[in-house]
Amino acid sequence: MERSVKKLDGVEAVSVNGVTNKATISYNTKTLRVSQLKQAIKKAGYTPLDIEKENTSKTVEENKQKADSSWMRFKVAIGFAIPLLYVAMGHMMGLPIPGIIDPMHNPLNFALIQLVLVIPIMLAGSKFYTMGFRTLLSGHPNMDSLIAVGTSAAFIYGLVAIFEISIGNVEWVMDLYFETAGVIIALIMLGKSLESRSKGRTSEAIQKLIGMQPKEAIVLHGKEEIRIPIEEVEAGDIVLVKPGDRLPVDGEVIDGRSSVDESMLTGESIPVEKTVGDKVAAATVNKNGMLKVQTIGVGEDTALAKIIHMVEQAQGSKAPIARLADIISGYFVPVVIVLALLAGGVWWFATQDISFALRIFISVLVIACPCALGLATPTAIMVGTGKGAENGVLIKSGVALESAHKIDAIVFDKTGTITEGKPKVTDIVTAEGFTKDEILQLVASAEKASEHPLGEAIVEAAQEAKLEFYEVTDFEAIPGHGIQTMVNGIEVVIGNEKMLSEYVIESALMEKSHELAGQGKTPMFVAINKTFAGVIAVADTVKPSSKEAVRRLKDLGIRVAMITGDHRTTANAIANEVGIDMVLSEVLPEDKAEEVKKLQNQNLKVAMVGDGINDAPALAQSDVGIAIGSGTDVAMESADVVLMKSDIEDVVTAIELSKATIRNIKQNLFWAFFYNTAGIPLAAGVFYALGGPLMSPMFAAAAMSFSSVSVVTNALRLRRFKPSHKQA
Amino acid sequence: MQRIETYRVDGMTCAACSSAVERITGKLEGVDSVSVNLATGKMNVTFDESLVTEETIFKKIEKAGYQPSQDVTLKEIIIPVEGMT
Repeated sequence: MERSVKKLDGVEAVSVNGVTNKATISYNTKTLRVSQLKQAIKKAGYTPLDIEKENTSKTVEENKQKADSSWMRFKVAIGFAIPLLYVAMGHMMGLPIPGIIDPMHNPLNFALIQLVLVIPIMLAGSKFYTMGFRTLLSGHPNMDSLIAVGTSAAFIYGLVAIFEISIGNVEWVMDLYFETAGVIIALIMLGKSLESRSKGRTSEAIQKLIGMQPKEAIVLHGKEEIRIPIEEVEAGDIVLVKPGDRLPVDGEVIDGRSSVDESMLTGESIPVEKTVGDKVAAATVNKNGMLKVQTIGVGEDTALAKIIHMVEQAQGSKAPIARLADIISGYFVPVVIVLALLAGGVWWFATQDISFALRIFISVLVIACPCALGLATPTAIMVGTGKGAENGVLIKSGVALESAHKIDAIVFDKTGTITEGKPKVTDIVTAEGFTKDEILQLVASAEKASEHPLGEAIVEAAQEAKLEFYEVTDFEAIPGHGIQTMVNGIEVVIGNEKMLSEYVIESALMEKSHELAGQGKTPMFVAINKTFAGVIAVADTVKPSSKEAVRRLKDLGIRVAMITGDHRTTANAIANEVGIDMVLSEVLPEDKAEEVKKLQNQNLKVAMVGDGINDAPALAQSDVGIAIGSGTDVAMESADVVLMKSDIEDVVTAIELSKATIRNIKQNLFWAFFYNTAGIPLAAGVFYALGGPLMSPMFAAAAMSFSSVSVVTNALRLRRFKPSHKQA
Repeated sequence: MQRIETYRVDGMTCAACSSAVERITGKLEGVDSVSVNLATGKMNVTFDESLVTEETIFKKIEKAGYQPSQDVTLKEIIIPVEGMT
C-alpha cells in the first residue's frame, strides 16, 4: 500500500504502521486531494476510514518557529548588550562601577570583561557573519555584509587595544569598540524582528480570507446527514447548510430559501436572497434559512480560492514605480563599502587618528543599508491589494494598481454596467376605458408564451403586481412586428407602431409614445378586441448607484464616456440620466476596442469598464481593463481589475485605492531615500567637518533599524483606507 | 518549453539580497525573466526547460548564500486503514 500511495504525484512521504493500522501521509495540497489518496488506498485493496488527524500548512509553523528563535536570539543579544553598554559608558556619566573592572585602576580587566560580554552577542548574531561574508565573497554583498564588516572591524580593533593595554599602553582603554559592535547587532536584530512582525500584518487581509475557508461540511447521503472534512466533499454532493453557518462549497441551491451574507466576497454588506436555482459561493454566511446546495466546486475550485490566488499573485508582483529603487539597491552596498573606506581614509589622513577614522567607517557602513528601499513598494502593494479584496475590488497586479491612478478617461460599456442589463416595464399608458392592471394582465398572459426579452419584462412586472395569468388559446408571432393572440377568449394584439397602424390611436397617446421613445424606452402598442388600449414602455434601467459614481469620477478629474451598440436616442437618454457627456453609440461589438484605441491616441490613459460579454478585446486594449460583477471568465482573464459586485461605485473605489497606495509608496520611497542619502554624509562626518553634529555608530544602527520599521508602519496605515462612498 | 514557477527564497534580509538573487538568476542562460519580492520572500521565474533546470537555478542561488525551495504547502494526515494483515 505504501508503494501505491507514494506513486501519486504530490506525495512527499508515506509511512504505514502495521501495529496500529494507521497511515501517515505527507502531501502537497496544491496537486493532490484527499479523495485521490483514499482512492489509491482502495485500489491497493484496503479500506481507508475517516481522517484521524491533520496537520496543516507546515510553513506557517515554520515561520512562527523562525520568528520565535530570532526573538530569542535578540533577547540574548540585548541581555548582554545592556551590561556591556553600562560597563563601557557608565563611568563616563559617573555611574558606579566595581573597582576590579575600573578603567583607571584595572584597565585590562575593564577591557576583558567587555570582550566576554560581546562574544555571546556576536554568537547570537552569527547569521550576520555567515551570510554577510559569504555574500561578500560571492560578489553580491548585502545588509549582512555591512553589519559583518562593520562589527568585525570594531571587534578586531578591540582585540588590538587589549593587546596594547596588556603591554602597558594604557591610553588605549578609551578606544575600545566592543560596545559599538554589541549594540549594533542588538539594534539591527530588534529592527528586523519588529519589521517581520509588521510585515506579517501586511498580509492580514488575505489571511482573513484564507481563514474563511470552512473545514467541514454536512453532506446528505440519502436521508442521512454526515459531517465530513471539506477535502472529501466532491462535486455533485448535496450539502446541507444550517442557518448561521458558512457555506462550505460553491454550488447551486436545490432546496430552501435564505438570505446569504456575501460581504466577504463582494464587499456588499446587504445580504442577498437565495432560493432554488441560485448560485452560492463558499465562505459566504447563510443567515436565516436552511439550504440544500448541490456542490459545483470545492477547495481550490471555489470562487474564494480563486480570489485568494489572484490576490496572492498581485501581492507578489512588482509595480514599475519600484524599478528605480530596485536598480539602486543592487549597487548600493558595494558603493557604500567604497564610500565607508573613503570616508574613513580621509579622516585618518586628516586627523592621524585611526580610532576616529574607524568610528566613521563603521557609522557609514551601518547607516546605509538599503532595507527600507526594498520594502517601500512591496509592503504598500500587499496592504493595498488586500484592502481591495476586502472591498470586493480585485487588483490583479502591481502594474494595474499603478496604472489605475493615472487614468484620464473611463469608458463604460452601457448594458449591464451602467444599466441593469435587463429590460423592465417603466410606464403603462392607457387609452380611455382601460385600466393599467387590465392591460398588464392580458399582455403578460399573452407574452408568457413568447420568449422575447421584452415580453419577459412584462411577465415579470405582472408577477410583481401579483396578477394571475390567463390561458392562451391562440398565439401567432409576426417577426419584427409583434404578436397576435387569443387570451381567455379576448383578442390581444401587441406590437410596434406599424403592427397597430390599422387602429385609431388618440393623438395625445401617440405623442406620449414618441416622448417615451425619446427617453430611450421601447413603447409597445396594445390592442384589445380590435380597440387600441394603450402603450407599455420597456427599458433597460440605470443602476441606482451609477449616477453618483459618474459624479465622483468627474470630481476626480476623469473624463467619463459611454460605449454602446444601441441607437443614438436610447444611448443619449441613458447618458443624460447618469450625467455622461461623451457618448459613443451604434458601435459594433468588434469595434469597441478600436474606439478605446482612438481615445488612447489622443494621449489619454483609458480605463474600460465592462461585464465581458463581447467587450473582452476592449478590456485588453485599454490601459486598465475593469471587469464588473459576475463577469464572464474571459473578462476576468483579460481584465486588470475585477469588481466582485456589479456596481460601478467600485470603479471609484479602485481608483481611490490606487491613488492612496501610490501616494503611500511615494512617501515610503521618500523616507527610504532620505534615510540613505541624508544618513551617509552625516555618518561620514561631513557635517562634523563643517562644525555640525557627528553620528555615533550606535545611533547609525538605531536609525537604520528605524528606517525599515517606519516604512512598513507607514504601509500599514493603508489598512485604514475606506472608499469614499462608504464614508459617512 | 517555457515554464513559469514561483519559488520561496529564504535568507533575504534587504533589497540588496533580493536584487542579488534577481541578477544571479537573470544571468543564467534560458531564464527569460525573474522578479524577486522581498516582502513576500518569493520569486517568479520564467525559464526555458530545455536550456536551464530548476536544479541549476537553485544551485546558483544557494551559492550566493540564499535558500531557494519549492513553494508548496505540505499537509500531513493520519488515516486508519482496514484490511491490513
